[in-house]
Amino acid sequence: MRITLLLVLLFSMSAIADETCMSPYMAKIEGQEDFVYVWTLGLEGVGDEQDKLVTVDVNPDSDGYGKVVHSISVGGRNEAHHTGLTDDRRFLWASGLDTNHIFIFDVHTDPAKPTLHKTITDFVAKSGGVVGPHTNYALPGRMMISGLSNNRDHGGRTAMVEYTNAGDFVKTYWMPTDDNLQGAVKSGQYADGFGYDVRVLPRRNAMVTSSFTGWNNYMMNLGTMMADPEAMKAFGNTVVIWDMHARKPTKVLDVPGAPLEIRCAWNEENDYCFTTTALTSKVWLIYLDEQGEWQASAVGDIGDATKIPLPVDISISNNDTRLWINTWNDGMTRLYDISDPFNAKQMWEQRIGEQVNMVSQSWDGKRVYYTSSLLANWDKTAPAGPDLQYLKVYNFDGEKLEQTMAIDFIAEKLGAPHQMRFGAHALYGEKVSAR
Amino acid sequence: MNPIHWSLRWLAIGAVLLCASLKVWSETTQVLAPGYGPLKFEPPAAGSYQLPPLGSAADGAVIDMNGESFPLHDLTGDKLVVMGFIYTHCPDVNGCPLASYVMKQLQLRLLASTDLKDRVRLISLSFDPIQDTAAAMRDYSMHFRRQGFDWEFLTTKNENELQPILEGYGQYRKMFYNEDGDYAGTMSHILRVYLIDRDRRIRNIYSAGFLHVDTVMNDLRTLQMEPNQ
Repeated sequence: MRITLLLVLLFSMSAIADETCMSPYMAKIEGQEDFVYVWTLGLEGVGDEQDKLVTVDVNPDSDGYGKVVHSISVGGRNEAHHTGLTDDRRFLWASGLDTNHIFIFDVHTDPAKPTLHKTITDFVAKSGGVVGPHTNYALPGRMMISGLSNNRDHGGRTAMVEYTNAGDFVKTYWMPTDDNLQGAVKSGQYADGFGYDVRVLPRRNAMVTSSFTGWNNYMMNLGTMMADPEAMKAFGNTVVIWDMHARKPTKVLDVPGAPLEIRCAWNEENDYCFTTTALTSKVWLIYLDEQGEWQASAVGDIGDATKIPLPVDISISNNDTRLWINTWNDGMTRLYDISDPFNAKQMWEQRIGEQVNMVSQSWDGKRVYYTSSLLANWDKTAPAGPDLQYLKVYNFDGEKLEQTMAIDFIAEKLGAPHQMRFGAHALYGEKVSAR
Repeated sequence: MNPIHWSLRWLAIGAVLLCASLKVWSETTQVLAPGYGPLKFEPPAAGSYQLPPLGSAADGAVIDMNGESFPLHDLTGDKLVVMGFIYTHCPDVNGCPLASYVMKQLQLRLLASTDLKDRVRLISLSFDPIQDTAAAMRDYSMHFRRQGFDWEFLTTKNENELQPILEGYGQYRKMFYNEDGDYAGTMSHILRVYLIDRDRRIRNIYSAGFLHVDTVMNDLRTLQMEPNQ
């Protein structure tokens, strides 16, 4: 009965729910996760060369611990990037930044063996020209997809696109721009209309979006792009606050230098979110001030900005005191003390690999997962070896990381691993017969 | 009826009544859903936003408190509908009891509303046909429904008749069983309350982090302002 009640609570509570970085509308895994689902880019000359969802058994009590237990390829390369679970955690949406396909996997029928349930192939047409589906974010019965680009000039102006959980298009919400602020207040220099990540603070009816760059840049060779002054101007400099219920932008904040991932605080009293800027290497706080106004403030530095460490994924602890920040270019993970959100201080750093992008942690913060790939045309290709394209898992005791698992995705003929999401048999009530 | 099941039901009802009468939302150790307290933001004004359709509201055979069987669609199409899936033994205060609590608040607001009180129907539909008989739903309704108010408490004949409805609305729930294979009387589920317009289209879906009487009232008024609604 105790287990039963725990599961009832787990599923019916949505106020609290990488477990620390997903939608608060979603059920979460508080204990040991059984699987990590890794959305993986296909690489030429590696295995079947297709994008695939790779399932790794990560439960130390399992016979399959540490092994790839399943892999499902999707028939080509799409610039596999981010994924997101629906609010009931039954389906995993995985999008491709180049083909604009969204693959919906069934992860509940057998959590050890996801199946491809549906593929959305008309994202651009249905959305009215949005390109580059990025974040797949759960809302009640729906998914919000943030775009990166558009089909008119393949630049950074873009929108969010809402779908039902069944995969039916609902509506497109374009980012506010100087020529159409849509009622939003432009608080600084920029209203660029760019997009990247999306997160929600339900208790404040606030939806927060960040801004990266368009298809022209994210599909370009990294060296070529960085040598092109015009291309380097085409990055976002804004965070937008939206009225979540009305789906309307209310304020455009200046956050220069391509603010990427957004992670919001969990504590009911902490009305703020963090983001980091890829080009200027800073930690930014997006917060509600004492007058009830949303503001943005740079609250910390990340490495030596002149060396372009390139901050990428971040992960906030469930008690809002720690923030993992990965810097892709130097392969470092950095732990920040954010107890004072206005003064983010790096506590220590550790090298994970030749490059490191995504970081996910268990709800209790005791296990931290890393993958390597950023974008197909930006990833490093040398030196070859187990530190180039990998999944690595660590135990974290609050002081140091201790590696417990590593999978070389090239040696295993899988590809380049990107976003991770956790799965557990317990979410679906009982173990399936296959285990 | 298993006495343990009765205890769970009264625990569930008690949780709702406790929250309703004592407003303990800020004093309990558990973080209660926003629907139990005042909103921490000013909701957007009715009519200032749109509620795009989220698909068709599914039909299916249901049973009312008197044991009468009829299609669910008989209760949609003529009024705006707020429908929540519940089961009367639900022990989590942020689950089904939240839905019933907010709908009870909604009932009070609607009764005080001259323009909406006759244009909105509330439906509580059980997804536990084993325990929630018509009589059980009638008992449950007595704790919430004002006499004469259009709030239907429904159940289904059996699992076969329930499943198409759950699938139609995308309402997931998983029953738990004892080691001897008997239904344990509890289940895991995600809270969903649906706003349905007169064209039998779903116009909003509320979950525990989002369900609040203020926003539901504004959504109802927003729909009422639309032509044909």
